[in-house]
Amino acid sequence: MSGVRLSGLTKRYADLAAVEDLHLEVAPGELVALLGPSGCGKTTTLRLVAGFLRPEAGEIWVGQRCISSSATVVPPERRRMAMIFQSYALWPHMTVQENVAYGLRFKPELSGTERERRVSKMLKVVQLTGFESRYPGELSGGQQQRVAVARALVIEPEILLLDEPLSNLDANLREEMRFEIRRLHEAFGITTLYVTHDQAEAMVISDRVAVLNKGRVAQVGTPEDLFRRPRSRFVAEFIGNTNLVETTATGPSTVAKGPLSLHIAADGLAPGAPVLVSIRPHEIKFAPASAANMLRATIRRASYLGTAVDYEVQVEASELVLRVTAPVSPRLKPGDTATLAIDPAVCVPVSEA
Amino acid sequence: MTAQAPALPTRFSSRFEGIDRSLPVWLLAALALVFLMALPLGWLALVSVSGEQGFTGAHYLEAFTDPQLRKAFWNTLVMALWVGLGSLALGAPLAWLTARTDVPGRGLVRGLVLASFVTPPFLGAFAWVMLAGPNAGALNDLWRALTGAEGALVNIFSMPGLIFVVAIYTFPYVYVMISNTLELIASDLEEAGSILGASRFSVARTITIPLVAPAIFSGFILSVLQALALFGSPAILALPAGFHTITTQIWGMFHYPPRLEVAAAVSIPLLVATALLLLVQKRLLGRRGYAAVGGKGGQRRRIALGPWRYPAFAGCLAIMACAVFLPYGILAKAAFSRAWAQPLTWDNFTLRNWSFTFFEYGSTREAIVNTLELGVMSACVGAALAALLAYVARRKIIVGHQLVSFLALAPIVIPGVVLAVALFIAYTRPPLLLYGTLWILFLAYVTKEMPVGYSQADATFRAIPPELEEAGRVLGAGRLRVFAEVTAPLARSGIIASWCFIFIGVIRELSASIILFTPNTKVMSVVMFDLKEEGQFGAIAVLGIFMLVMTFGVVILVQRVLGRDFMGVRD
Repeated sequence: MSGVRLSGLTKRYADLAAVEDLHLEVAPGELVALLGPSGCGKTTTLRLVAGFLRPEAGEIWVGQRCISSSATVVPPERRRMAMIFQSYALWPHMTVQENVAYGLRFKPELSGTERERRVSKMLKVVQLTGFESRYPGELSGGQQQRVAVARALVIEPEILLLDEPLSNLDANLREEMRFEIRRLHEAFGITTLYVTHDQAEAMVISDRVAVLNKGRVAQVGTPEDLFRRPRSRFVAEFIGNTNLVETTATGPSTVAKGPLSLHIAADGLAPGAPVLVSIRPHEIKFAPASAANMLRATIRRASYLGTAVDYEVQVEASELVLRVTAPVSPRLKPGDTATLAIDPAVCVPVSEA
Repeated sequence: MTAQAPALPTRFSSRFEGIDRSLPVWLLAALALVFLMALPLGWLALVSVSGEQGFTGAHYLEAFTDPQLRKAFWNTLVMALWVGLGSLALGAPLAWLTARTDVPGRGLVRGLVLASFVTPPFLGAFAWVMLAGPNAGALNDLWRALTGAEGALVNIFSMPGLIFVVAIYTFPYVYVMISNTLELIASDLEEAGSILGASRFSVARTITIPLVAPAIFSGFILSVLQALALFGSPAILALPAGFHTITTQIWGMFHYPPRLEVAAAVSIPLLVATALLLLVQKRLLGRRGYAAVGGKGGQRRRIALGPWRYPAFAGCLAIMACAVFLPYGILAKAAFSRAWAQPLTWDNFTLRNWSFTFFEYGSTREAIVNTLELGVMSACVGAALAALLAYVARRKIIVGHQLVSFLALAPIVIPGVVLAVALFIAYTRPPLLLYGTLWILFLAYVTKEMPVGYSQADATFRAIPPELEEAGRVLGAGRLRVFAEVTAPLARSGIIASWCFIFIGVIRELSASIILFTPNTKVMSVVMFDLKEEGQFGAIAVLGIFMLVMTFGVVILVQRVLGRDFMGVRD
């Protein structure tokens, strides 16, 4: 079992950098999601790892093997990887059986019966036993997806690459398949890179998430890390909803916005320095008791969401407007006033970039 | 949600309220179609089995036992098969190069294939007579001058010569089928193979070629069909070489004394063969969808040829030189020289061919007027009828709409010569005596071009969602009104394109015209054929250039209107 290391990876398309000086390390057996908006370079990164593209600079290592550099690129067929494509890329002229068995053709050491055994075992894993002689065109979207999964896993690849594999499924199926992919990962433990633009998907599936922005890694961490401790405006906004408050430092761990003063999760701030603070709406409580960060506010808008209420509140004696996600009860109406309690630990300073 | 809408009682204020008042229009269009197809083909079948007393199989017996006819059948078969293979050999590599590799000048090559596509094959055959005729052909002259040899390098008046000239104008069918298919195959499908361990060669063998195979076969079949139906090239190249194909043989049966019944009996097998081949082709295409399955179609990435880029480009140009550069060059030379076989010098330069063609030669001007009249008329009527019929079939307006679509596409299987035999039989007797008028040619053209116009119109309506019309009808507009005010404006460019396709088809038509014309109803292609008998190659070249200019003018119009080149449509 080997990990993957990308160092200083750069790929340009006609002067436009799709990936620029990208560093990322994936531990053996780990599932890392590459998450970012479209055009952030995540698919390019994956195609670089697969060997379909040659980097202009930087290197890709698998274990102790350098498989890509600007000088040499090991061709895809000799990388011992498997890939699941967004379009599934099932061959329409081959049956399910033939599709899944395809990768085994290039393993001459396997006997015919061993191949058949592996294929049928894998079809059982993805619950497609009985569909062997169907053509891909005769399967539903979810079944096609599972054929693609089986075709990739049956060769027992060293590295598995997934390129937005769930984006063509409908919402229910997508949710189901997320857990399915996670289950398969836990069963097989293959080092995996997973490209997606869906943060919920990334969070459910991966051990760690690398958020990409403009061809670079903005932040890598566990889903919880990214959500609770975003390091930049981009990550804070991209992962979940947040309130971003532009403030000025007044002490090592206090900031002010006009007359308002907040304790935040930082120390060693230089007084007078501008500080951007991210506060998740659901971390703000309507509560009477709290030591720090008590604010009086007026409700401007309340939207019932079923399990919670989404409020927009105007902080008194201030221009500041915050989004608050609070439990359904007690219900407040627009015009009501309330006291907000914000734990300093959830006020996270983030960089502008 | 289990609530059900209560069933509303339907009440009409009068008995006619429930009837769609546009129905007569659709029915009339459908009847016109049935009339157009059924009458001639019915007569064709009837005449082929009718003897002096009642029914007879004697004509069929003659068709299959006459040694000369059997030879002609054999020649046709040999030619058609080799043309199919030749078209594959030319079209498949060209399609792969332009669709999937980074060969330079892809746009140029595609443009040249289009040029070869719209060049009337008989014009190409005339040009190749001037290029590779055994005595005065330009290439043979060059060969003799270079080597001092006595004989000719190539003799175009031969079976291989005929196959060559037909193939260079037929390979675009293969090209279109294959390149359109390659465009549909996402690179994902090939990449999925290579990441699983398949080498480039394995990917080609196990993925790409099997995916393209149906297109390869169906391109082959289309080329064979073209070759089977062709009259002009065999008449120009095979007859001087002393052999017949089945189309020239049928044509010969119209010379005195006419043997109509035998012509009909020979036509029917040709018709059946064409229909069968087309059926095979449909089966091949319909077996499994070979577009990308599932999900968004991936991108297509080009294969880098590396050092082979320019040799590959040179190969493309060599093919196009045979199909376009050399023939067009010799036509231009012939049009402006006193003697086309002499070197191109100032002494040899003349405009006399032009004045001769347009002002002196008896039937040219009349033929040009006839051709244009027929072209415009057939295109207008054909495009309108095709649009109505396609609309009827696509929106399933009348009972039997499947039949409408079948009938409109049926003439694809009718070779021009066979159609002409059928029309000749049908319209030289009551109730409609049309032989000797332009009307019989008009009917022939509208019938022959109906599949092309219909396919284009159908593609156009397929792209217009029915909701757009339903929105109009809910607001109170009748079907005809919606058709005129919503559908027709949206379909305009598609219908203009179908007009253009029909027009192009008509002005170059030879195989039906050659049987149906009379001295007063000659068209351009027929006049060119006459000019050949008189050896007037200069005048042929002038008319050919005139025809090409018109064709390319219309092609450019189509590209403007559709915003794409039109080779995707005529499949």
